Amino acid sequence: MTATDLADVEYVVHSLAQTAVDKEKEFGDLDAVVGDGDLGYSLARGFEKVLHDWDTFKRDDVATFLQQIALAISSRIGGTSGPLWGTAFLRASAAAKTVDTIDGAATVAMLRAAAEGIMARGGASMGDKTLLDALVPATDELDKQLAAGAPPAECRAAFAKTVRECADGTSTLQARRGRASYSGERSIGSPDAGAVAIAIIIENITGGWDKR
Amino acid sequence: MKKFLNDPQQFVSEMLEGLALANPDTLKYVPEYNLIMRADGPDQNKVSIVQGSGSGHEPAHVMIVGKGMLDAACPGDVFAAPPFDYVYETTKMMASPKGVLLLVNNYTGDKMVFDMAQEMSSAEGIQVQTLFINDDVSVEDSTYTIGRRGVAGNFFVIKAVGAAAERGADLKEVIRIGEKVNSVTRSMGVALTACTPPAKGSPLFELGDDEIEIGVGIHGEPGRRRAKMMTANEIVDEMLTPIVQDLPFSDGDRVALMVNGLGGTPISELYLLYGKAHRRLAEQGISVGRSYVGEYCTSLDMAGASITMVKLDDEIESLLMDPAEIPIRVF
Repeated sequence: MTATDLADVEYVVHSLAQTAVDKEKEFGDLDAVVGDGDLGYSLARGFEKVLHDWDTFKRDDVATFLQQIALAISSRIGGTSGPLWGTAFLRASAAAKTVDTIDGAATVAMLRAAAEGIMARGGASMGDKTLLDALVPATDELDKQLAAGAPPAECRAAFAKTVRECADGTSTLQARRGRASYSGERSIGSPDAGAVAIAIIIENITGGWDKR
Repeated sequence: MKKFLNDPQQFVSEMLEGLALANPDTLKYVPEYNLIMRADGPDQNKVSIVQGSGSGHEPAHVMIVGKGMLDAACPGDVFAAPPFDYVYETTKMMASPKGVLLLVNNYTGDKMVFDMAQEMSSAEGIQVQTLFINDDVSVEDSTYTIGRRGVAGNFFVIKAVGAAAERGADLKEVIRIGEKVNSVTRSMGVALTACTPPAKGSPLFELGDDEIEIGVGIHGEPGRRRAKMMTANEIVDEMLTPIVQDLPFSDGDRVALMVNGLGGTPISELYLLYGKAHRRLAEQGISVGRSYVGEYCTSLDMAGASITMVKLDDEIESLLMDPAEIPIRVF
């Protein structure tokens, strides 16, 4: 564990939180197409608390920091978003506990742990038209690029490109989980709000990486 | 819609404050987490029994906190799962060397919050398990749930595990009893009117003057079908037949029979329903060992009733007969 690791993780979480707050209306409008329109509101309230409490989080190591984020988010977000995002951070924290440094492989492990946590908590599978349909293939792509020895900048670009393509690709799927599932076939033709949100969040993280 | 109300946002906290003031010797109220707990808790020599759910179902669950039943209840807002930190902090506060059992009615939002609270409390070394209650026979999937809903039958699970914990059973044994009671408990409800959440101010759904909803959920979720108004005897048959067929209950069985008011139905009508249900079961050779008539799990001001049946054996009956000291006592 190095100071740089923690600083990078802090950058990722801060960028995510800022995007969630800045894009409240956009995420809400996306969700209103087939869901109940509360995605933007829920995420903004949860991550608003993260930004508000930013200086108070314990920073002993990456795992501790992420666990504090998990607690902060899930305390504030109602409905199902709180437990889902909270679980994602909790599982990423557990994955961070098992490594000495947050390198590419550790990043992939944390992303996979987060995705598996969301799957378990929400009972969702791939193809159910959720943010998993964007996050999981993008993580696979990142893993592939790392294994091929691609330089970090190329890995980040491939990660962002895949998450966007897959988020847009959720348009063809029919929602089977969450409030959007009540609209059945009507959900076909619009992308999943959570998947698009995660794409925008990741684009902002990778886009701002060099200026972090 | 007229209601006794000040600020809809304060509806739950003002109710909890009143409850605590009315029971100063037995209950403690922790406003930060909507927590109602036994004033003498947590007892370090027994398993702590905690129930969480949305508000609006009173007396469930804040008014059945007391010796022999719940050690604590942490409600959310009306018909909303408690926020995660309420459950997490409650679990930590109720921690006992013998463990904590979290009871949850099977709704998607509640399940996620409690699963996560269990995961996080376990990580901190607290011995904690979660038990989901799903006694409603009317539908398999509903608006807020995947799988069967938990309704008034949770009273029997709470009573049995509360008694077992009070007797000193360990967490594993308490869970065995809870699962056993849940597995032999079946319920079904009928709504004559919709209910009105304080913050909404208008009925939650539309139900015509001459219509009833058969198999309604305790948040007004749709049930099996909407029907024209019928006689009380016919309504009893509409509820009782699916319950009896589901377990199934059969000739020679001994049961606990509950007729539960949903909040807006007079007790006189509940006894009228009870009489018919009792006689109908007797015709089928099913005897009633223990009977319960009144309001146990309501849906705000909804007019309607639910019937719950529990198949009794010596163990369950004995646990149901153990004493309990809770705020809805009538003496």
